[in-house]
Amino acid sequence: MQENYLAKWLNNELSEAELTEFKKSDEYASYQRILDVSNTLEAPEFNADEVLMAVNNRRTLQETKVVQLNPFKKFMKVAAVAAFLVLGSYFYLNSLDEKVSTQYAENREVVLPDNSEVVLNADSRLSYSEKKWDKERNVNLYGEAFFKVAKGKRFTVATDAGTVAVLGTQFNVENRKGFFEVTCFEGLVSVTFDGKETKLPAGSSFLAINGEIRDELESNGSQPSWMNAESTFESIPLKYVLQEFERQHNITVETEHVNTAQLYTGSFSNTDTNLALKSISMPSQIKFKLEGDKVLFYAEKAE
Amino acid sequence: MNIESPNNVCEESVFNTVFKTNSKTVFNYIYYKFGNEEKAHDAVQEAFVKLWENCAKVPPEKAKSFVYTVANNLYLNVIKAEKVRLKYADKTLKSTNETPEFLMEEDEFRGKLQNALNSLPENQRVTFLLNRIDGKKYKEIAEMEGVSVKAIEKRMHLALKSLREQIDGI
Repeated sequence: MQENYLAKWLNNELSEAELTEFKKSDEYASYQRILDVSNTLEAPEFNADEVLMAVNNRRTLQETKVVQLNPFKKFMKVAAVAAFLVLGSYFYLNSLDEKVSTQYAENREVVLPDNSEVVLNADSRLSYSEKKWDKERNVNLYGEAFFKVAKGKRFTVATDAGTVAVLGTQFNVENRKGFFEVTCFEGLVSVTFDGKETKLPAGSSFLAINGEIRDELESNGSQPSWMNAESTFESIPLKYVLQEFERQHNITVETEHVNTAQLYTGSFSNTDTNLALKSISMPSQIKFKLEGDKVLFYAEKAE
Repeated sequence: MNIESPNNVCEESVFNTVFKTNSKTVFNYIYYKFGNEEKAHDAVQEAFVKLWENCAKVPPEKAKSFVYTVANNLYLNVIKAEKVRLKYADKTLKSTNETPEFLMEEDEFRGKLQNALNSLPENQRVTFLLNRIDGKKYKEIAEMEGVSVKAIEKRMHLALKSLREQIDGI
């Protein structure tokens, strides 16, 4: 008999001779019976579906555990975003330019970091970067301002019409819609307009209306007239004069049959509205009607 | 029995297939060793939960041996705490038209077989029952137990021999 013949017998691996010999043995009947009875044995019932359900439940339970961790994770996310926003806006705001602006009928004096002085005329906006001031003295201007620049590095006034660069001087820049005027009161001012540079010595001014450069004009006084509550014009189209009047007196101007292209030379008060109206209407030979914060200019002929 | 699927066990359908093909055998395997239905159920659950947790790491063809190993290891840990108690609750025979004497004698024999099975060494009992009840080939049992086919044949041979000796009262 070969090794483990009982196992071989179960597996039908015994040779004919071996099987015959085995069958003749006394034990054979017992083995056969053990086999027959054990074949009727059954394992306990096993409900695979139930266990699979239990397994799936535990799986989802574990997944819920993960979800339970989420609120903290979410909180961390929110915190991270909030911190980012706070830091980001801090740095952003820090890097933002300083801004100064004036309303209608308002003037304001601004002292720049290097003690240069700027006086903003009505309805003007000035911005500059305080952080970069040490590196470059650069201000952006819309509207009109008088500059008294402390000596030092190049000082630049950037406007959408042109740039004005100086070293240390006193000058006035007016940048309105279609109107760009620079007047130098002391020192030397360099005006770059339309890519062309013009040197402006003290007592002269540079004027461009609608992109067209007018002749350089002589100017007297040590300050722009508006600093003394007066607006002065020399051969300026009436349109710009009226706009300036609107700004200085915060009064809406309407015109009827008035040629606003005619040139105006003169000045008007920035404080006395009636006097200013007369100063404008008399030389232009037009009439006006003031009603509250509205004024109507009209030509005499129309009446 | 090989699940020759290129799919990932993490896929619900693949996982369910692995479960359906193997859970019953895992249950029986642990039950034959441990004699405790509850523990066998636990082992199946544990093994398949572990399989799911490691589904990305276990290729489908290794899933089968993975669950046997996990179930077996769980059993190894528990045996220290609990003594093996075997109880074969369900052993209904197919109804026969035999005489009462024969049925009584048959009952007696079954009782003897039960006792004999319980007194077998654990590895022989497991081998014998996996082969007899679950129809597992020696090769499959060898894979489950992590031994050679020859070792299983030896266990089978010894199991039969011991059973006969016990029943015949030698």
